[in-house]
Amino acid sequence: MNDNQTLLSVENVSTHFFTEDGVARAVQDVSFSIKKAKTFALVGESGCGKSVTALSIMRLIPTPPGQIVGGNIVFEGRNLLTLSEKQIRQVRGNRIAMIFQEPMTSLNPVYTVGNQIVEAIRLHQKKSIRDAWKDAAETLRKVGIADPEQRVSEYPHQMSGGMRQRVMIAMAVSCEPRLLIADEPTTALDVTIQAQILDLLDELQKQNGMSILLITHDLGVVAERADDVAVMYASRIVEVADSQKLFAEPLHPYTQGLLKSLPRLGLSAKRLQTISGTVPDPLHFPGGCKFHPRCCVGCSDKRCQTVEPRLMEVRSGRHVACWYAKGYEEK
Amino acid sequence: MSKQAKKKANWGVSYGEMVSHEFVKSKLNVVCLVFIVFLFAVAVLAPFLANDKPFVIRIDGQLHFPVFKSLRASDYCIFLAAIVGIVQLLLIRRNRRRVDPSIRGAVLWRQICISSSIIFVGVILIFVFVPRRLDATDYKAMVASGRASGAVFAPIPYGYARTDLKSREQPPSREHWLGTDDVGSDVLCRLIYGSRISLSVGFVAVGISSVIGIAVGAILGYFGGKVDFIGMRIVEMMMAIPVFFLIITIVAFFPRSLLNIMIIIGITSWTGDARFIRAEFFKLRKQDFVQAAVSLGLPLRSILFRHMLPNGIAPVLVNATFGIAGAIFIEAALSFLGFGVAPPTPSWGQMLSLGVSTTGRFLWWLTLFPGLAIFFTVMAYNLVGEALRDALDPKLRIQ
Ligand SMILES: Nc1ncnc2c1ncn2[C@@H]1O[C@H](COP(=O)(O)OP(=O)(O)OP(=O)(O)O)[C@@H](O)[C@H]1O
Ligand SMILES: [Mg+2]
Repeated sequence: MNDNQTLLSVENVSTHFFTEDGVARAVQDVSFSIKKAKTFALVGESGCGKSVTALSIMRLIPTPPGQIVGGNIVFEGRNLLTLSEKQIRQVRGNRIAMIFQEPMTSLNPVYTVGNQIVEAIRLHQKKSIRDAWKDAAETLRKVGIADPEQRVSEYPHQMSGGMRQRVMIAMAVSCEPRLLIADEPTTALDVTIQAQILDLLDELQKQNGMSILLITHDLGVVAERADDVAVMYASRIVEVADSQKLFAEPLHPYTQGLLKSLPRLGLSAKRLQTISGTVPDPLHFPGGCKFHPRCCVGCSDKRCQTVEPRLMEVRSGRHVACWYAKGYEEK
Repeated sequence: MSKQAKKKANWGVSYGEMVSHEFVKSKLNVVCLVFIVFLFAVAVLAPFLANDKPFVIRIDGQLHFPVFKSLRASDYCIFLAAIVGIVQLLLIRRNRRRVDPSIRGAVLWRQICISSSIIFVGVILIFVFVPRRLDATDYKAMVASGRASGAVFAPIPYGYARTDLKSREQPPSREHWLGTDDVGSDVLCRLIYGSRISLSVGFVAVGISSVIGIAVGAILGYFGGKVDFIGMRIVEMMMAIPVFFLIITIVAFFPRSLLNIMIIIGITSWTGDARFIRAEFFKLRKQDFVQAAVSLGLPLRSILFRHMLPNGIAPVLVNATFGIAGAIFIEAALSFLGFGVAPPTPSWGQMLSLGVSTTGRFLWWLTLFPGLAIFFTVMAYNLVGEALRDALDPKLRIQ
């Protein structure tokens, strides 16, 4: 799986939370790889473990109660999970940067936005304060903020949500990271701004050739922007594929269900379909394939109820975890 | 909007500016603040307000400046600190208007470094070069006998350590505005010097307790878990001890010195700060901007003290203001009970205790005036604390 085109590969990573009520297996045996200068989308319902996956890559899991219990995360030839705290700090913000869901609260209210960008720049690059401030204004211009020389000295509370998210992006890309993790970067914004922000990410990707891990539950966004997609369900990845192939021919029943629930132009007369049932609680996962209680294909199959399928390659470039997928067999 | 206000708006309104705007809205707050500044001025300028040495005097045709000669090293240190402090405040004001926000932080940092090194070096130089002099000349007698002339005295021409058994326990009069105590010292003079003790006890003790409280609270709140569990039990144990009695017990064992009292008050009253900071850090730790700061790769020190502390400092600031009032009060109480600074060093609480003389007479001026001084000072700090708490209301904290 490791070749020159791969920037990050996540191999069999499991992250558990050891709480008083029991062990929450938030991420189980997750594997995928992100190619250079490509956008990789991670989709799934709320609570399926997308953010925990992202935080595991950054080694930001709060410990205790959380712990990455197994696997490797190889980034630029190094296993991030074996780095010392000091080494991982040099990766964070510098090689891998992250933007969060909530732009209203992601900036420190007591410092000007310029101060915060400058701090990020000077942390990883040797620059004088003056140069760093010039850079900060330049980055703000790059993310499409008008009048950046003025804006650098404003406080976050003087900006709108969309603008703050742009500032967050400016902070994240100020050190030209190779991987940008965007955890639902547009969920908190209104629709027109959402498109602008995503366009901006595309633009920046073209300019500096970084890879993007885009976490979202908006399949429309995925179809438009992502090169590769991983679908997550109840802490496991159930399907990984090239985005076009996935949308053309979803293999896993869950993915099929998700696509059916996607509104499409021209089909508005019909009611949107939903997947019946709810996402299982990570403390009480069902046995066997976790999707079987909601699955229309294998809900009564003994094998689905007792043995959990692993993610397998069923044909070139198509990985899926379902007993019923064509070409699937346990090796 | 005035021109200046507009210009500021362009540079962004900081949280601090919003708070100070909120604070000065009430007249009472301003009055209290002015009173505290006045107390500071009195404490700093004490040797010029009350002194038994004249500013200038002509003896045998030669001019002498006894006040300046009699100033001690500690007086010079106080002047130096006050001047540097005022200059620093003016510079901060100027920065806000003149210095580009981009380099304001760096400029401020440099100024603070320079100021503190000036104070540090200055204090050492002062203690090395200012000789200890004891000027026991009775200038007033010289003036009376006609040997000296042209003497200009301070408004209150008495020293705080002066004893004059002829004028013991006198009620307020033209000569002694607030009367005299059991050894004939002028009460007003001792009140003025006493303000030095009260203020320094207040600030140093609270400084010590805040530093300990913030450090402990930050660590407990950020790490949580077992660290927090054990730490909080220790804090609770400290809290269960009645502080005042602990202080009395400790003071009974150690020599009576001002520094000891400050340190003891400081290290016994940090639990409140620790709990406030811990609670704030508990909330802040989960905030997105802290997560974002970690994801930028900032070191722990910077996250705790640069990003979290300024957002969680508000309750500690308020508590510190109450703490100053509390420390002044504890010092007064200790001195009243005879555990405070040793005479002749003047202290308000100690003066209060002289209100009932050894002969059983009730000397009302010795009770009333120091009592009022304590009352107004403690009240001013408490009111400022209240006002600060309202001004720092999280509602203001911008969304
Ligand atoms: N700090 C924590 N302590 C205990 N359990 C946690 C913690 N953080 C996450 N979890 C568990 O991990 C599971 C996955 O959470 P995660 O935040 O990754 O979901 P998500 O896919 O990002 O959902 P959303 O779309 O709502 O952001 C949650 O159901 C929760 O039970
Ligand atoms: Mg999430």
